Amino acid sequence: MDIDTATAARLHNLYWSFATVAFIVVGSLAIGKAASSVAAWRGGSAALQRRAFWGYLFASPWILGFLIFVVGPALASLYYSFTDYRLGRPLEWIGLENYRVLIEGLGAHGRRFTQAMYNSFYYALVGVPLQIVTALGMAMLVSRPMPGIGIFRLIFYLPVILAGGPAILLAWRYMLASNGGFVNISLSSIAQSLPGLDWLYRSFIFVVEAFNAFYSGISRGDPVGAFSYLLPSLIGAAVFGYLLRGEFDSGKRETAARLAEVIAIVLGLTLLVRGLVAERIDPAFWLGCAFVAAISFLLWRRKRLEPRRLGLTFAGTGILGVLLAVRLVMIEDGHFSAILRLLTLSSPIARPGDLDYLEDVFPALLPSSAWIWGTVAVLAAATLIPALEKGQRKTLLGVSTGLLALLALGSLLDGFRYFAAFGAIAETSGSPVFHFALFRQVASTLPGLDRVPLWLQNELWAKPSLVLITMWSAGTGMLIFLAALKGVPSSLYEAAQVDGAGPVQRFFRITLPMISPAMFYNIVIGLIAALQTFEAVYIIQTPRTESSLASAAYFLYERTFRQLEIGQGAAASWILALIIVTLTVFQFRYSRWVHYEG
Amino acid sequence: MRMKGLRSALIALALAALSFATAQRSLEIYITGLTEDTMDWFREEAFPAFQESHPDVDLDIITGGWGDFDAAVAGWITTGDGPDIVYLGSEYAATYGDLLTDIDPYIGDWPDLEEYLPAALETATWEGHLRGLPLLMSPRPIFYRSDLAADPSAIPPLTFEDAIAFVEANSEVADGAVQKMGFMDIGGGLFDAQEFIAYVWTAGGELYHEDGSSAFDSDETAQALQFMYDRRRAILPTETTAGLPPMQGPPIASDLVVSGIFPMWNMPPVSDPLWNEIVIAPYPAGPDGEPLIQVFTDWLSVPSYVEDPELAVEFLKFIGSQENALALNEVAGFTPTRQDAWTRIRESSEVWSDMLDMAVEYGRSFSDIRASAELRPLIVEQVNLYLSDQQSLEDTQQFLKEEYDAILEDYGYL
Repeated sequence: MDIDTATAARLHNLYWSFATVAFIVVGSLAIGKAASSVAAWRGGSAALQRRAFWGYLFASPWILGFLIFVVGPALASLYYSFTDYRLGRPLEWIGLENYRVLIEGLGAHGRRFTQAMYNSFYYALVGVPLQIVTALGMAMLVSRPMPGIGIFRLIFYLPVILAGGPAILLAWRYMLASNGGFVNISLSSIAQSLPGLDWLYRSFIFVVEAFNAFYSGISRGDPVGAFSYLLPSLIGAAVFGYLLRGEFDSGKRETAARLAEVIAIVLGLTLLVRGLVAERIDPAFWLGCAFVAAISFLLWRRKRLEPRRLGLTFAGTGILGVLLAVRLVMIEDGHFSAILRLLTLSSPIARPGDLDYLEDVFPALLPSSAWIWGTVAVLAAATLIPALEKGQRKTLLGVSTGLLALLALGSLLDGFRYFAAFGAIAETSGSPVFHFALFRQVASTLPGLDRVPLWLQNELWAKPSLVLITMWSAGTGMLIFLAALKGVPSSLYEAAQVDGAGPVQRFFRITLPMISPAMFYNIVIGLIAALQTFEAVYIIQTPRTESSLASAAYFLYERTFRQLEIGQGAAASWILALIIVTLTVFQFRYSRWVHYEG
Repeated sequence: MRMKGLRSALIALALAALSFATAQRSLEIYITGLTEDTMDWFREEAFPAFQESHPDVDLDIITGGWGDFDAAVAGWITTGDGPDIVYLGSEYAATYGDLLTDIDPYIGDWPDLEEYLPAALETATWEGHLRGLPLLMSPRPIFYRSDLAADPSAIPPLTFEDAIAFVEANSEVADGAVQKMGFMDIGGGLFDAQEFIAYVWTAGGELYHEDGSSAFDSDETAQALQFMYDRRRAILPTETTAGLPPMQGPPIASDLVVSGIFPMWNMPPVSDPLWNEIVIAPYPAGPDGEPLIQVFTDWLSVPSYVEDPELAVEFLKFIGSQENALALNEVAGFTPTRQDAWTRIRESSEVWSDMLDMAVEYGRSFSDIRASAELRPLIVEQVNLYLSDQQSLEDTQQFLKEEYDAILEDYGYL
């Protein structure tokens, strides 16, 4: 029989329909049979085997669906992430190359991914706390019984239903218009209503712009030079200072242990990831990884941290640091530059020729990062000596704290000098790269009287705009907090009042601990949502603000659906997924502050 | 009992197969951004007319927005399952070319092809073969409000220098905010990637050297960048100057915008008396270049997964006929790419007549943009850094050149 193409296509579809049904039937029977075999192998009775067969048989359509529609695509995506696959081009296996490009920020796409990750972290670190505060504030407002409170609850929750809708986001575009928008008109009116408020308003503009300009520079990979030392030395000084005050009493020891654990795990994971995507694997790298992993494992399994173990951690980290610092000196341009940079806190300048002129204009005055590692190693070694007196330990802790505090102060002062050098370079260099140009523009002067926030117009205000929109739709968090607030027994407040506790004390000592499970839930969910931000970015971005708004999810959408780079898009999605999972696991592991009644 | 059940199932299967064997052929057409009126026209007029000569064909029309365009088309092409005819934008031949059917064998001898603008056919061509048929064109000139201009005799400025002088004379800033804009681009801001490419061309440059590498290191690119920067500063003295207040309706009708680049759907209707005050003009040019107007051509393609490309091309010929080109102009506002359909359009509106004259005199097709999906974000990122004083002109050119060359190499152009 001669059939036309369309008929052949229909018969083909029919064949596949029957094949699908047959597959489900056979698959279900196979799953049922496998379940009953397992039950038999485990010595189950005939009745148990029958129950297993029928139970799994009826559950198998869902199991098969899950395998086909969830696990299957996920595995396919994982496979594609190791390939160079652009639609219309043959697929080529390239191993970890996609991950290497994205993690090390190589080329235009690596740079954009890095920036997108910074943007996503901004939404998480700035947006989520503000959203939590807003939600809790709203919940506190509507938790008291009064006439018409239901209407207010509805009004506060309404944005959740509307938020994210294109129409609402477009309405926000009007409200946040820098010239004539509702938000700016309101802010300007308030600022002009009382003397002194205008200074507050201008200071607010200055602080927001300075912070976002600095963040923008960091996310673009501008060098921070001496500022590199600031954060680690501050953390070190804070940890040692904390231990010094309590001299290893049990509570402080536990906190210090957790801090050491977090640092070790983060360092270990970072090293592992960096090492995995590096071109060649260096023995020193694996040695370091194994050491950090072993220490992390020890800490993970600990019941209580002894000074000896804490010392071991510090010693190990210190030795590793010294080892790698030495390697840095020995290897001019090793293939592990990324790891070495991380451990030696050096801040390379990725633009060709920049390093030379930066060194000419700004000779480095700070000691190397060996200072930090050396201090930590000395302290750790001293801690390991069993015969050490309490006073001697205190002295060592004090000296280490002082040294790290000095280093923090020095790096802060030198960091300002370093930033000032960029301006001189821009003026004198033949082809200047304007490092931290935005920050230097903003920091050079206080906003004038006619300045307004440029919400959606300027990259300095684009991310705050998005955070503002998410704060507006904090109704879901509000509902959860409201339920938690309702669950706090009033007898606790009454008892506290009798004891003379004021409203602030009652809030911090009773309300917050009692609603901590709700707080924890909101933080976990909020963080996941923030790292997956997409719709708002897609709608409110303009060519001027696209780079500063683009989130990780937006990046992978662009790479996958606009540029058809399936391989790199898949790699980006797996990196994002792993980051979300890791952060969530961390939150659960360090959720001891959450108080569960009973 | 069991045998009975099995026999019944086999009979049902045979009947189903027979019913499929006698089924109609089907054709699904996807066109972006259609209004309900246009969808109705397809269903109630175009499809019945096509079915007169193809009674065994079921037709269906689907539409969507540009917002989900990329994802939708990528999804169809990835899975090899989607509409038989897919609407594509001007620069998509380079993106999807390898995944589209070469329709030359089915359409090569169609006499009507001669009526199509060669530049429009070029847009739908990939590696020397037609991959679809142009459906509509959209000339994108600059519109000037002569009644708002400080000096109407300065319209149209045809050089970069004159254009900056015009924008300076017609822009106003007060209280840290723009009160009147001498120029606004299609995105409502002061920068657009496609517009940047246009100025590279009007400066006398091209996007590629003869060896296929990026020409972003050329003097013409530098002139285009400098022009866009100077024009921006003529409107926004600093990056902290607030823009115009939000406006309803077409910006050109707001009395706050003196000139700009807008699509026709963001302009007043051609019957509006305001058009008496609007001048249509090409983009200004650099010292070694010529003014031009970018012409965007949208076209209908046949993906390679289509099992009956002959039927799809039959429909393309049908919808591309002079009669249907005119009908689509009337119902959907499409500007035909067939020159023999222009006569009636010219008669219907003086605005369209001027627009077509301009397109013929100055038109340059927005095509041969290699790796366009990768080029756009690169231009947006780098040029914005330059325009906002975060990067020097030399560095901007260097990064544009280096990174576009890397992309071209990755795509196999180098």
